Amino acid sequence: MFKLAIKNIFYYKGRSITTFLLTFFSATLFIIFVSFMHGSHKTMLHNALKVYTGTIQIYQKDYRDEGGYDYLIFDNQKVFNSLEKIKGIKSYTSRVETFGIASSKNNSSAIMLTGVDFKKEAKISELKNALKTGKYNTKSNCLYMGEDLAKKLNISLDHELSFVGSAIDYSFAADIFKLCGTFKTGMYEFDNSSAFLNREYFDGLFYSQNASSYIVINVNDLDKNNYIASQISKSIGKDLKVYTWQDLMKSMVELVKVDSIFGYISMALFFMVIFFVILIYGFINISSRVKEFGVLKSIGLRDIDIDKILIYEILILTLSAIVIAICLGGSIAYYFEINPIVIEGISDMYKDYGIISDTVPTDFDIFTIFWNVSLIFSLNILSLIYPIYYVRTFTPVEAMRHV
Amino acid sequence: MIKLKDVQKYFYKGEEREVHALKNINLEIEKGEFSVLTGASGCGKTTLLNAIGVLDQISSGSIELEGKEIAHLNSDEKTKIRLNDMGFVFQAYNLVPVLNVRDNIAFIMRLQGYSEDRIKTRVLEIAQLLEIDNKLDSLPSLLSGGQQQRVAVARAVASKPKIILADEPTANLDSKNSQSLMDMMKELNEKEGVTILFASHDEYVVKSVNRIIKLDDGALV
Repeated sequence: MFKLAIKNIFYYKGRSITTFLLTFFSATLFIIFVSFMHGSHKTMLHNALKVYTGTIQIYQKDYRDEGGYDYLIFDNQKVFNSLEKIKGIKSYTSRVETFGIASSKNNSSAIMLTGVDFKKEAKISELKNALKTGKYNTKSNCLYMGEDLAKKLNISLDHELSFVGSAIDYSFAADIFKLCGTFKTGMYEFDNSSAFLNREYFDGLFYSQNASSYIVINVNDLDKNNYIASQISKSIGKDLKVYTWQDLMKSMVELVKVDSIFGYISMALFFMVIFFVILIYGFINISSRVKEFGVLKSIGLRDIDIDKILIYEILILTLSAIVIAICLGGSIAYYFEINPIVIEGISDMYKDYGIISDTVPTDFDIFTIFWNVSLIFSLNILSLIYPIYYVRTFTPVEAMRHV
Repeated sequence: MIKLKDVQKYFYKGEEREVHALKNINLEIEKGEFSVLTGASGCGKTTLLNAIGVLDQISSGSIELEGKEIAHLNSDEKTKIRLNDMGFVFQAYNLVPVLNVRDNIAFIMRLQGYSEDRIKTRVLEIAQLLEIDNKLDSLPSLLSGGQQQRVAVARAVASKPKIILADEPTANLDSKNSQSLMDMMKELNEKEGVTILFASHDEYVVKSVNRIIKLDDGALV
């Protein structure tokens, strides 16, 4: 039966090529579509995490609910010692946040001032790369602020501004800072209200040595993030709480979910169209061969043998189309993962979600490609069920007389 | 060898357009017979031949092959009977277009599970007898009508069935090819002892056979 199926494929070239191309194009398009969808989600996620958030953050238990200096981490070193023992952590740093009023010659604004260790921060976030003007100077009262905040305060590089706030012992803290740089992350709220100060200088002013609002961590493998978070949680004690990026960026997680749902609805429609095209084409195809099957039945082929011929034919055509689709679709997905498509202005559209570049890469993932083509393959096989049943309903004579 | 008892066949039974195609057919065909079902067009020759070949369902009655009832078997059992005990020659040849002559002749033997050596010998033997041994590697589409019909006969006879049922085998052939085909089938009947039953109104066929079974409006005359 297998040999006969192969001969049928080569003899009825037009029919075979159409079936092959139908499967090949649907599988290739599907692979590319899904790789772009996953690619854009991954980019969104990676950008958002890379810019500032990191993949894990550690807080004193009630800091995120209550806030304020009473809920700071007061012994950074102890936490750092625990983190050193956990495998899979790429880098970590601590940040101290305070709020106050910043005033330039003309304007004032409430700002969030964060003390950061610029050297360690470079391994965690993209702040350094987000710098649009100026240079990092780690040994002075240099202040770095978001481009939008600088515009609001109407100051530019090397201008001075005053800051009034509170040290962590609740004493009064005030100073004059020099604007040494402005940054743009693409996250509007962040760029509109945040400023950074060298940690050493910050600690001197706010008495925050060895303390932090939170500790940020990046892991080597994002897929192991939750496992590492649970390891950290076990090792740092009950007073501290570990948050993963899913906890910290709930709106982003929801956005990805909603976008995926719409993506899968589009795909379901795409599949329905593909399924019915294959089904109708397959049915017309097999209807035109009923006479041929009648002859085969009359000379001694059982219904099961006819089924086998049809299944072998579709298996050979579908599998060969899918293998080539994997090669082509996979290559395209891989190529655009390395050389992402550039869409001018996309970062402006999605700045609230942390997109900081105009590129849309694909996501080349063997497992995803495998389930994509498995679905196309299953649809092809499913589309054969009715035609097989249809052929079985004929007696040999009825089949031979079929027009 | 084949015994038909009170065989009736209706088409569209119970409908306004009902046709009573076979009326109370009682018939016996002996082993080694070389006979023809004949009659005017539409008299039921092909319907009766199809019924004997269990290609189509009869409405009532029974058909026995060597004492075994075959008309009311299930689809797979009927297929088995057709595969092992019967050979078919059709008016339109009905060769498998994707297979060459050699594979067409060998097709049924392969289904029956003969060894490739046995198949090779038998195919050559039958091809020589039917004078198509020089066409063994050709596809059916490259052969003339007469040659295709000989291939169909070769396929039918290769596995040595108990009976060959030939429906209008000369209808698409010219007189020379018709005569030639009938001579060959006669030779097969005599040399191989195969029982052959034709359905035909062709005079070459009617003249060549040993027994003529006449049908008129679905009934034996």
